[in-house]
Amino acid sequence: MRSKLFVFVSFLILASFVLAACQPAAVTPEKVVETVVIEKEGQTVVVTATPAAEAAETPTLRVNLGSWPDIIDPQKSSFVNEIAHLKMMYEGLTTLDAELNTVPGAAESWEYNDDATELTFTLREGLKYSDGSLLNAKRFEYSIFRNVDPATAGEYAAITDDIAGAKEWRYAEEPTEEQLAELKAGLKVQALDMAGNACVDYEQADCRILKIGLSQPAPYFHTVMSLWVTFPAKEENIAEGGDIWWTSSKFHVGNGPFVVKSLEPYVRGYFEPNANYWGGVATYNLEFRYITDSAVSFEAYKNNEFDIVPLAAEDLATVQNDATLNAEANIYPGSCTFAVMFHQLKEPFTNQKVREAFAMALDRETWVTDVLKGLGAPTLTWIPKGFPGYDAEENRWGFDPAAAQAALAESGYTVNNGQLLDPTGAVVEMVDTFSDTPRNRVRHEWLVAKWKEVLGVDISLNPVEATTYTALTKDVNTAPQLFILGWCADYPDPQNWLSVYWKTGAFGERIGYSNPDLDAKLVEADSTVDPVARMPLYAEAQKMLTDGAPVAFMWNNVNSYLVKPWVKGIVQTPQDAGWPGDVAPLSITIDTSMLP
Amino acid sequence: MGKFLLRRMLWLIPVILVVSTITFVLMHAAPGGPWDRDLSARQVDPATQKMLNTYYGLDKPLWRQFTAYLIGDIDSEGKFDCGLICGDLGPSYRQRGLTIQQILFMPPEEKSIIYSRFGYSMRLGVYALLFAIIIGIPAGVISALKQNTMVDYLSLFIVTIGISVPNFVMAIFLIIIFASTLHMVSIVPRSWDEVSVWILPAVILGFNTMARTARLTRGSMLETMRQDYIRTARSKGLSERVVIVRHMIKNSLIPVVTILGPALAALVTGSFIIETMFGFPGMGRAYVTAIGQRDYSMIMGTTLIYAVLVALANVSVDVVYVFLDPRIRLD
Repeated sequence: MRSKLFVFVSFLILASFVLAACQPAAVTPEKVVETVVIEKEGQTVVVTATPAAEAAETPTLRVNLGSWPDIIDPQKSSFVNEIAHLKMMYEGLTTLDAELNTVPGAAESWEYNDDATELTFTLREGLKYSDGSLLNAKRFEYSIFRNVDPATAGEYAAITDDIAGAKEWRYAEEPTEEQLAELKAGLKVQALDMAGNACVDYEQADCRILKIGLSQPAPYFHTVMSLWVTFPAKEENIAEGGDIWWTSSKFHVGNGPFVVKSLEPYVRGYFEPNANYWGGVATYNLEFRYITDSAVSFEAYKNNEFDIVPLAAEDLATVQNDATLNAEANIYPGSCTFAVMFHQLKEPFTNQKVREAFAMALDRETWVTDVLKGLGAPTLTWIPKGFPGYDAEENRWGFDPAAAQAALAESGYTVNNGQLLDPTGAVVEMVDTFSDTPRNRVRHEWLVAKWKEVLGVDISLNPVEATTYTALTKDVNTAPQLFILGWCADYPDPQNWLSVYWKTGAFGERIGYSNPDLDAKLVEADSTVDPVARMPLYAEAQKMLTDGAPVAFMWNNVNSYLVKPWVKGIVQTPQDAGWPGDVAPLSITIDTSMLP
Repeated sequence: MGKFLLRRMLWLIPVILVVSTITFVLMHAAPGGPWDRDLSARQVDPATQKMLNTYYGLDKPLWRQFTAYLIGDIDSEGKFDCGLICGDLGPSYRQRGLTIQQILFMPPEEKSIIYSRFGYSMRLGVYALLFAIIIGIPAGVISALKQNTMVDYLSLFIVTIGISVPNFVMAIFLIIIFASTLHMVSIVPRSWDEVSVWILPAVILGFNTMARTARLTRGSMLETMRQDYIRTARSKGLSERVVIVRHMIKNSLIPVVTILGPALAALVTGSFIIETMFGFPGMGRAYVTAIGQRDYSMIMGTTLIYAVLVALANVSVDVVYVFLDPRIRLD
């Protein structure tokens, strides 16, 4: 009898835990919406899922940014999710518009001298930080000095190396204190008042001129100044907060459209509009969340817990088969180009005809449709669509199996039982190396199958761990014979695509690429002040690059997001950092009448 | 008891030394370093990389890096920076400016340590373990007492699911049921201060341990039930409740407790899957991502914390043995 009683009690305990686990949550999505609508009468409906924001008077835009940033310091950050935070809190001297034109930001104007070796910005009058304090040119001078300072060791510091004295300071080998002072003094960045005198401090209201000397003609440099590395974080806050100043919202006093109110690591970043922003005041609060699992993010979006989420390739078919979700999908060109890289110094890709053959064996359209599931755009050129310098006419080395076979035959290389033989008859081992992920496996299996189908060549797959892959491909000596690599724009200027990547000694060196003729053309383009004359030079340079088929241009990425219909006014650009509309956040509104 | 504990604590020193040596060698044997980034973005330039290597001491010989981590090193100003022996787990190479202690143990502004990453993981691990014990042990006991009945078969069915279904599958399955369909919980927790938001992560994290606990308890109970001393207890006229609670369950728990110790350490150090799916701010994600990022100090720090927790859990298990079985002596 007692045994039965014991069993019964045990069952009751078990059942009570199961039932307890099934109790309703304290707050359901419906409850949030209902409560706010009644209390605020529509005008101030809050869409935020957070109890704190329920009491707020403005709606909240809830964005899943994916991953929590490693560091939120303007002069040390380098990743998209880090930049997404910085762009809300700070603004550079220039910024970008919807067409990726460089337009005034904190500066109202700028001008180059005749040979584009000096750039002078004039800041807007009466600029303020979010706390109401003055923002003058001295602040930007500090930020640029901090970026160049080797002690900062900013991961993007090299992007301002065109400033006269920057390289000398950054590359100095253990300078003495005197040398260091000299190097610092040699950096040609100076804040001036309107009379042309050096500024004294951060309180000087007429300190509105920032003069930047350049080590070479650089007519694109005003666009570089739109980047986060020059954002004017306050020196005194950085000093007070020490190395971890960026972890605290109280030290992030910025000049951007939003003010960060809380940064809860891995959980939530919460921003409110900056009433002191020169461009106007946003009509919504902003909440970043950090759900990295795309399946969960997608479910949360469908459950109305997010307004904007990234759309993963795995969910694309579901979205396309659902009329409502399909209408909410925002898919538009991104800022990256991906290519199959041929190592120019390793057999058989020392031979241009072989490179041409391998490039022409790939059907980019099928690649995008079958492998990328539509989340990409085929390309045969380097600069992507939407960016200055895009060449819509380029069609060389596109898919042409007959031409590919002819090119291989012309190269002197032959194929015997799947083995590639060089002109002397020696076997050339073919290996395709990639970062080992399920997605990459599919991609590279497709590639080697295509090469086998068109050229008859057997290529073995070499999957390696992600960071190992990065380490291998960084160095020309260890870079694989055949691999995929991409480049994403730092800023929308052909100089960033061509000179930064393909000049001898730059990133293209990892596959042994060096073309003196292209170098000369790029030097000419980089130093041409007149933008009308400059663009054709870059166009010529891009054709020169494609001439040699150093790589097989494959695809451009697309930005893909799901956006709720009540989020209006999103301005899409390829340079969006982490979420759509971050280039022009003030244009976004939330139509509270549409809330469920 | 005191002597036993002291001896076991001292054993931690060679354990830490061996674990840290193996970890250090393995992580440095892997190609790449902390400055190798996503290839579609600009890589850290050589000058900056050199500066960072010098700043963090990564330009020194490996043996020197290892001793600097364990014992300490003289910094550029001639000051001695004490290492692991002083509790310093080193700087993070990815979250620059932060030390590993700060990342794992520092709570957000104006909050207590239970809001640190370690605090979150500790809480979730404890809840998951409680779930595993509270459900697993009674389920195992009932299964054994009702061997070969529907109750036993149902328990076996649930246990099999718990052991065989990966937790990421179970997580998305439960999210769809309880959040998307029934709207009983939110998928993205508004705040981890709400009790309800812990239920799904704790249940999913603890489900496998619960299943293994139930299975082990059942097997152990069945073995104990056939022991002579159980027959003796019954023949003495003891009530069935006393026989089950005092003699069967207590003696059956020894193998269960053996697995619960390391299970607690594993649950507390977090779960990459659970943290990724629920946006949970624990330390499991740091543990896994640090390997890909080559954040050497984070790899070392989290591995050592895990090792210490496993060691401490095993000591606790040994202590619990004494209470469960008086025949066992610690000294």
